[in-house]
Amino acid sequence: MNASVQHESKTHQAVLRVQGISKSFGDNHVLKDISFDMQKGEVVSLLGPSGCGKSTLLRCINWLEIPDAGHIRLNSERMGYAVNGTKVGDAQLSKMRSKIGMVFQHFALWPHMTVLENVMASPLHVQKRNRKEVEQEARAVLKRVGLEDKINMLPSRLSGGQKQRVGIARALAMKPDILLFDEPTSALDPMLVGEVLEVMRDLAAEGSTMVIVTHEMKFARQVSSRIIFMDSGHIIENRSPEEFFDNPQTDKAKTFLHSVQYK
Amino acid sequence: MNFYDYLSFVYGAVSTIGVSFIAIIVGIPLGLGLALLRWAKVPLLGKCAYVYVSLVRSCPAVTLIMLIYFGLPQFEISLSPLVAAMISFSITATAFNCEIWRSALLSFDRSQYEAAQAFGMNRWIRFRYVLLPQVWRSSIPGLINEMTLLVKNSPAISVIGLLDITRAAQRIGARTYEPIPPLLVGFAIYIVIVMLLIKLQKHLEVRIRSAQEPL
Ligand SMILES: Nc1ncnc2c1ncn2[C@@H]1O[C@H](COP(=O)(O)OP(=O)(O)O)[C@@H](O)[C@H]1O
Ligand SMILES: [Mg+2]
Repeated sequence: MNASVQHESKTHQAVLRVQGISKSFGDNHVLKDISFDMQKGEVVSLLGPSGCGKSTLLRCINWLEIPDAGHIRLNSERMGYAVNGTKVGDAQLSKMRSKIGMVFQHFALWPHMTVLENVMASPLHVQKRNRKEVEQEARAVLKRVGLEDKINMLPSRLSGGQKQRVGIARALAMKPDILLFDEPTSALDPMLVGEVLEVMRDLAAEGSTMVIVTHEMKFARQVSSRIIFMDSGHIIENRSPEEFFDNPQTDKAKTFLHSVQYK
Repeated sequence: MNFYDYLSFVYGAVSTIGVSFIAIIVGIPLGLGLALLRWAKVPLLGKCAYVYVSLVRSCPAVTLIMLIYFGLPQFEISLSPLVAAMISFSITATAFNCEIWRSALLSFDRSQYEAAQAFGMNRWIRFRYVLLPQVWRSSIPGLINEMTLLVKNSPAISVIGLLDITRAAQRIGARTYEPIPPLLVGFAIYIVIVMLLIKLQKHLEVRIRSAQEPL
């Protein structure tokens, strides 16, 4: 009884609710009935072996992939559907997506835009906010990720770590309700990983709501409020970082932690 | 050559440039439209675009222009030779420009298009601010090259009685029994037109580059 009351009050303020998401590509059943909630300010690290469906899950959350079954709710608004239950079109869907920031493994910056333009593009063209104000905020957010002196450069002139920090700044500029990170440091030279993790650590400390797919186990343990461990399309552990890393319950998780040489 | 000979060159140049110009104005956006249909794999319409391009690409300019000029009146659509020439060249330019745009689209990195989607850009914003600036940049050399080909195919319009630059030169040569001087004048006019197009290409490329390298 007590537990269910607590559950109710928790779900009430969930920023993100993932409910029974399934997704197949042909007969490759990639996600199988995935459910979890996220509260405001929570940092969830999504771990699991390569190919277990982590990227697909992130892409389902912002509807880049359309799940075969299940719901995604962002602040209780259902992704991809209008209030009356009909599927929404491109324009409405775009509006919903603009509340979710995404950071990509291979940066996916717009190569013809300068750093500043990359950060300003969505607030300007999607949110249609005032240019002066947008520029001011973009400069501030670039300063926050330590790139104030690179503002007028093209992405091609930046190092991987700098590119990814632009990627993060671009996501922050939209003031999203939640940030999704898909292996943000996997494409980086080991030397450049630290500067990106540093920025993410700050975001976590400031209370951003984040889902992070990563192979940086130490980092995951330090910043996460929860670890979700996936294997072949299922969530098989969903617990605090201490519990997960010190005392994994499933053999799969043990094998995984062993394979990434965590200890 | 007398005054009237030069006048017929002017006349020929005007029809060559006029027909080519219309074909460029029509062909660039329509070619982009067809290329987008194929790129986005729009059902049915994408296939139609493919068939259109294949058919037009295998039809010689002279054949197409005669088909239009003599063929359309069968359907009670009568055309002046000039309009027939403009339609025919526009049809060709559309098909060839489609292929130029399409190869730019194929080399366009889709992951950043997806990023645009993830950042809440609707179809129009993605097209206007992410896709178009990049494919336009990589298409410029091909599009300009296609413009020079249009100009150089323009003698085809003489088969339906229009006076183009080469036809003017030929007529003057036949009258004076000196074919070479008027042909050289015609050649010079082509050189000027093509040079202007190349200048346009340089201008566009520099303008884009300076917008992209603000340092
Ligand atoms: N667009 C797609 N089409 C077909 N199969 C896909 C597609 N995206 C992912 N997959 C498949 O789904 C599975 C999970 O992929 P992914 O979500 O990228 O895993 P992870 O990010 O955990 O490594 C893989 O088997 C992959 O081949
Ligand atoms: Mg992945």
